[in-house]
Amino acid sequence: MADSTAQPRFTRRTFLGWWMASLMTATVVTGLAPILVFLWPAPPKGQKKTALTVSIGKPLDQLADGDAIKFDAPTSPNSAFIMADGGGDNAAGELAFSGFVVKTQGKVDVFAINCSHLGCSIALNTDAKSFDCPCHGSRYHLDGTVLHGPAAYPLSHLKWTQASDPTAIDVDGIILGF
Amino acid sequence: MDETTRKDGPGAATAATVIPIIEVDSHGGHVLEPEWKRLPIGPDHILYPVVVGLALFPILMGAAGHHLADDMPDEDTHPFFPDHFWPYPIIAVVMLVTVGLLAFFVQKDLQLEVPADPRAVTVPRPDWYFLFLFQFLKLGPELIMSLVIPPVVFVVFLLWPFIDAIGGPKVARRMGWKTWPVPGRNFITGAGYVIFLAIIALLTLWALAGPQFCLPWIINSPVCGA
Amino acid sequence: MAIPHPREIQLAVVQWLDERYPFTKSVDEALYQRVPNFANAFYYCFGGMVFILIVLQLLTGILLSLYYVPDAGVIGNSPAYDSVKYIQSTAYLGWLIRGIHFWGANILIIMVLIHMARVYWTGSYRAPRELNWMVGIVMLLIILVFSLSGYLLPWDTKAYFATEVTIKIAGSAPPAQLGAFIREILQGGAVVGPPTLQRFFTVHVFLLPALIVLLMYVHFRFIRAHGISEPM
Repeated sequence: MADSTAQPRFTRRTFLGWWMASLMTATVVTGLAPILVFLWPAPPKGQKKTALTVSIGKPLDQLADGDAIKFDAPTSPNSAFIMADGGGDNAAGELAFSGFVVKTQGKVDVFAINCSHLGCSIALNTDAKSFDCPCHGSRYHLDGTVLHGPAAYPLSHLKWTQASDPTAIDVDGIILGF
Repeated sequence: MDETTRKDGPGAATAATVIPIIEVDSHGGHVLEPEWKRLPIGPDHILYPVVVGLALFPILMGAAGHHLADDMPDEDTHPFFPDHFWPYPIIAVVMLVTVGLLAFFVQKDLQLEVPADPRAVTVPRPDWYFLFLFQFLKLGPELIMSLVIPPVVFVVFLLWPFIDAIGGPKVARRMGWKTWPVPGRNFITGAGYVIFLAIIALLTLWALAGPQFCLPWIINSPVCGA
Repeated sequence: MAIPHPREIQLAVVQWLDERYPFTKSVDEALYQRVPNFANAFYYCFGGMVFILIVLQLLTGILLSLYYVPDAGVIGNSPAYDSVKYIQSTAYLGWLIRGIHFWGANILIIMVLIHMARVYWTGSYRAPRELNWMVGIVMLLIILVFSLSGYLLPWDTKAYFATEVTIKIAGSAPPAQLGAFIREILQGGAVVGPPTLQRFFTVHVFLLPALIVLLMYVHFRFIRAHGISEPM
């Protein structure tokens, strides 16, 4: 209305408008908030972080330079490894279901299997001595650095220690609870 | 019966004596519409319940507005039922038979792989209609190719009628055209669309050509199929 | 008392109903609507074909849901996977119902794209039909989400990894917190797992069908209001 713009007075009419608007907003918020909370998944019962012992088939000190051994997270109970670092699609705290133990230049590394591009499982290319991602063609050196894009970040490390069994390692992981 | 006795609403209809109509010879003889608008199947026809079922659909879909056909001479139009309707049951049966035959003869596409296991090493490949997007992802920085360009294309499609209506006449003026035709008659929007489809088709073919088929590209060269 | 002719009985029933809720006139008008002759061109039928296919998908979907179990289970024992196997190989004509749902979905996407191409080509999106075009584009999006969510339901390796990549892409939205939020909401957990299947099932079976039926209604009401578009 013309006069209300000329004299911005707080009338009964504006008050009622605002009052109704706040009431309706409050109603919508009261309805939506619990729905949003409900959508947020709670961790399943029995989920807990722990070190997962995985066998790699031969003692660590017998690994030769350029050896890479794939290992999987245990299925019962269903578990996954926790990445210690990572860029691109990977990040510290993200989960991986498999990994590689690699020895390059006398150093042993343990990598999560996920490509840093979009998280596909990389595979060992024994001829070229590289990790190749079948999805979008990314390739990595055995030390985890990028050999070929589209991946822009190196492979993620897993935090590990030598297990009491010389052919096994303890890797940081989580029991998923389902 | 006099046409003036035709009245809308329940009140008119309860004057029950005005419905003596059973004229088997003509169009069932109901008097709800003048002769030229009559349905071939009237309320006393054995198929009338079917017709009512069919009509429920357009009735549910709301009142018809003022249509082009209302301003056209009768010989340039035809009634929806049965003249316009009859192909659709046939189309429906043909389609049902087609998918049934596909279901019978091409069962290999429906065979399951092994149950999902996140530890399995496989190459995820989307269904054919997402292959172009899958291939497109490889052609540039991930974020731009996945979360910038496709949504932008989607929004352009969504707002296309307005883009066409606002931008089109301006382009037409610059080109010296009198009007801005529909894409089917418009070199710019028509060709643009064909190019868009061609890009999608090429990306799909590229993906279908498989991982051995690689082409040099400005980024991440060479880029291979899926 | 003479036995009335069936035709008279029917007429009496129609009459009785019409007195309580007048419909005969609407039936007449609705079915006798004049349609321009140019609308007989074959390329005007694609929308109708899409409608028929969507009805087919709804019907076969309901049938499949009688046997499908949306439970991913654990590694090595997946009720969802087993139920799809059961439908495909044990249930009587299960291969047919699932096959129709599968092939119907594929053909549906083709028909939607052809319908859309026709609407674009003949300029049928122009005033006053802009809103209907937009409703159609939203329905295209819904159809694509339908196929994405349906792809996961058999819970085989192919389905699992295709979904994982899709969720990863959606979850790569910056900033990282937003991406993680989207991913967590879609997955229903830290990884693609049983909660993901449950969510995708709900979306595929409850949310999207309701949405698409609603939007189809709007789409058809618009068509009723506007009439068939002019030839180009």
